[in-house]
Amino acid sequence: MAELEVRNLVKNYGAYNAIKDVSFAVTSGEFVVMVGPSGCGKSTLLRAIAGLEEVTSGQIMINRRDITRDEPSDRGVAMVFQNYALYPHMTVRQNMGFALRIAGRPQAEIDAAVNRAAAILRIEAQLEKKPKALSGGQKQRVAIGRAITRAPDVFLFDEPLSNLDAALRSQMRVELGRLHAELGATMVYVTHDQTEAMTMASRIVVLNDGRVEQVGPPLDLYNRPVNRFVAGFLGSPRMNFVKAEVVALTVQGLTLRAEGLQGVLEVPMTEGGVKAGDAVVVGIRPEAFSDDPAGGWVLDGRISVVESLGRETLLYLDGGALRAFDSESHEGYFAVHRTRQITARHGDPLRLGITADAIYLFDQDDRAIGWPSTHATQSKDT
Amino acid sequence: MPNFTRAKVLMYGFVSLWSLFVMLPLLWMVLASFKTKRELFMDPLGLPGSWTFDAYERAWGVGMGRFMVNSVIVTGASVAVITVVSGMAAYVLARSDSRWLRLVYLLIVAGFAVPVQAVLVPLYQMISGAGMLNSMAAIVLPYAAYGIPFTTVLFYAFFLDFPKELEEAARLDGCSRIRTLFRVILPLSGPAVASSAIFQSVFIWNEFVLALLMLNNPGTKTLPVGIIALGGEFTSDWPAIMAGLSIAILPILLIFVLAQKYFVRSLAGLGK
Repeated sequence: MAELEVRNLVKNYGAYNAIKDVSFAVTSGEFVVMVGPSGCGKSTLLRAIAGLEEVTSGQIMINRRDITRDEPSDRGVAMVFQNYALYPHMTVRQNMGFALRIAGRPQAEIDAAVNRAAAILRIEAQLEKKPKALSGGQKQRVAIGRAITRAPDVFLFDEPLSNLDAALRSQMRVELGRLHAELGATMVYVTHDQTEAMTMASRIVVLNDGRVEQVGPPLDLYNRPVNRFVAGFLGSPRMNFVKAEVVALTVQGLTLRAEGLQGVLEVPMTEGGVKAGDAVVVGIRPEAFSDDPAGGWVLDGRISVVESLGRETLLYLDGGALRAFDSESHEGYFAVHRTRQITARHGDPLRLGITADAIYLFDQDDRAIGWPSTHATQSKDT
Repeated sequence: MPNFTRAKVLMYGFVSLWSLFVMLPLLWMVLASFKTKRELFMDPLGLPGSWTFDAYERAWGVGMGRFMVNSVIVTGASVAVITVVSGMAAYVLARSDSRWLRLVYLLIVAGFAVPVQAVLVPLYQMISGAGMLNSMAAIVLPYAAYGIPFTTVLFYAFFLDFPKELEEAARLDGCSRIRTLFRVILPLSGPAVASSAIFQSVFIWNEFVLALLMLNNPGTKTLPVGIIALGGEFTSDWPAIMAGLSIAILPILLIFVLAQKYFVRSLAGLGK
C-alpha cells in the first residue's frame, strides 16, 4: 500500500500538449478512476505514472519518493493492459512469475507468489496453459494475476475491461471491487466508461483535454459537478441542456425564460454573478423531469424512441422546435428516465414539468452556478 | 468449356512446362551420376545402362564428407551471425525515431544493390591482408555481410508489427532492452527467424565464387568448391561430379521440403 502523488505534470508531443499541468494525489488504499473522453490524456497520464512515457515536466511521487525518472520496473507499480499483453510463448505460470524471475528471486518464492495470486483470482486450473487456450475473461485475470504477483505499491489499470463483452464486463467490475477490498491496495484505473468510474471508484478524476476538470467521490461529482463538462460526462443518458435567459434578478432569485418552454422558472438563487439579460444553460438530469407540469416550465413533446429495459424505461422526447443541445442523441431529443415500465409508442404526446429544485445552472463560461436544492448542501471536493 | 476452366488449363499447362524446364537439368544431373564416363558422352540423354553407385564412391573418395562438414559449419556460423546481428539492428531501427538511424536503414537497403562480383578484388585483398585466407572466417564474414541487409529488412518489417504492449509489459517486469529482445521478442519471432535462416542457408550452401576465391586448402573447402576437384585440366570425371552435386543438394532439399511454408513467407514478407 502506498500513496501516489502527481505534481504539475506536463507532457508535450512536439507542439501538442497532451497533459497540461495536472496535479492530484491518491491516498493509500484508494481506488481512483481517471475518466474522460478519448484523447483527453488519461492513458498518457497512466503511462507516465508507469514510466512508459517520459514526462516533459512535473513530478510523480510514490510514498514521497520521486520516481519521475525511474525505470518502470523500479517504481513499484504494476500495470494491467487493455489487450492483456500476456507473453504468448509462456504458460500462465511463467507469465505470472516472469517479473520475479527477471528479478532473480528463488524458485520457491516465485511459486508461492504465483500460487497465491492464482488462488485469489481462482485461476489455479489454468496455470499450465498457454494464453491462447484462455478466454478473454481468463486472460484478463491472468493479466491481473501477473500484477498481483509483483506485489506492487500501486496497481495501474489501462481500460482493462474494454475488450470484454457486456456480461463479462459487469462480472469483472464486481471482481475488481472484491479484489480491491481484499488486497487493500492502491489502484489507479483508467476508463472512458463513466459507468465503470461511477461504480468502482473511491474517487474519480475527470480529465478533459489534458486537464483535470474535477476530483471527488462519484456521487459528489454526479450531484455537484463544477462545470458543464463534468455534468454532461457523468450519468447515462447524459444530462439534458437547454439555453435560457435571465429575464429578472430580484432578492428572491432569478427568473429564467427559455425559448420553446412554456412559462418562466423562478430559481431561488442570489449568488452566481449573473445579471438580468445574461444567457445561461440549464441542465436537467433524465430522471429529474417532473410528471406534474405545474410550478415551473412545461415541456411539450412527442415520444420519439422508447427503450424498455424491464425495471426502467428510457424515453427520448422530441421537443418540436426546442432542441436539447450537446445531447445524447444527434437530433437533440430530451432523454427521460423513469424507474418503471411504460408502454408508450413513437409519436405519443408527453408533457413534463421542469421545476426549479431539479435543475443545474451554468454560466456563459460553462461553470456551474446552481445545483438542485437536494444536492446544494453536499460537500464539495475539487 | 467455361472460361475459368480454360484459363485454369492454360495456367496449369504453363506452370507444368515451366516446372519441366526447371526440373530437367536436375533430372539429367541425377541420371548422369549413375552413368559411366563413356555412356555420358555417347548417349547423353539416354538412361544409364546399369544403376551403379561407382560414381558416388569416387565422389565421396575425394573428401565429400569433409567438404560437407565444412559447409555445415560455414552455413551454421554465417546464419547465426546474420540472425543475431540483423535481429538486434532491425529492432533498434524499428523502434527508433532518429533521422540518422533512418539513414542507416536506407544504407542497409542500398547494400542489396552491390553485386558480389564488383567487390571481389578488394574483398580478397582485405581478407588476405587480415591473414584470414583459407580459414572459415574468410567466407563466414563476407556471407554474413551479404546476408545482413536482406535479413534486417525482413526483421524490420516484422518488428514494426510486433505488439508494443508486450515490450512494455516486459519493461515493467524489469527487462532491459536487450533482455526484452532475447526473452520476449525473438522467441515470438519464430516465423521471421526461420524464414530468414532458411533463405540464407540455401544461398550460403550453394555459394561458389567467394568460396573458390578464399579457400584453397582442401581441409577448409566447402562442397561447391570441393566437388571441382573431380574436374581436371584435361579430363573430368563428370559422372562423379554429378554424383557429388546430387549429394550436395540433398540436405538443402530436405530443409526446403520441411520448411517450405517459412520460405515462401520470407519472400512474401518483403512486400510488407
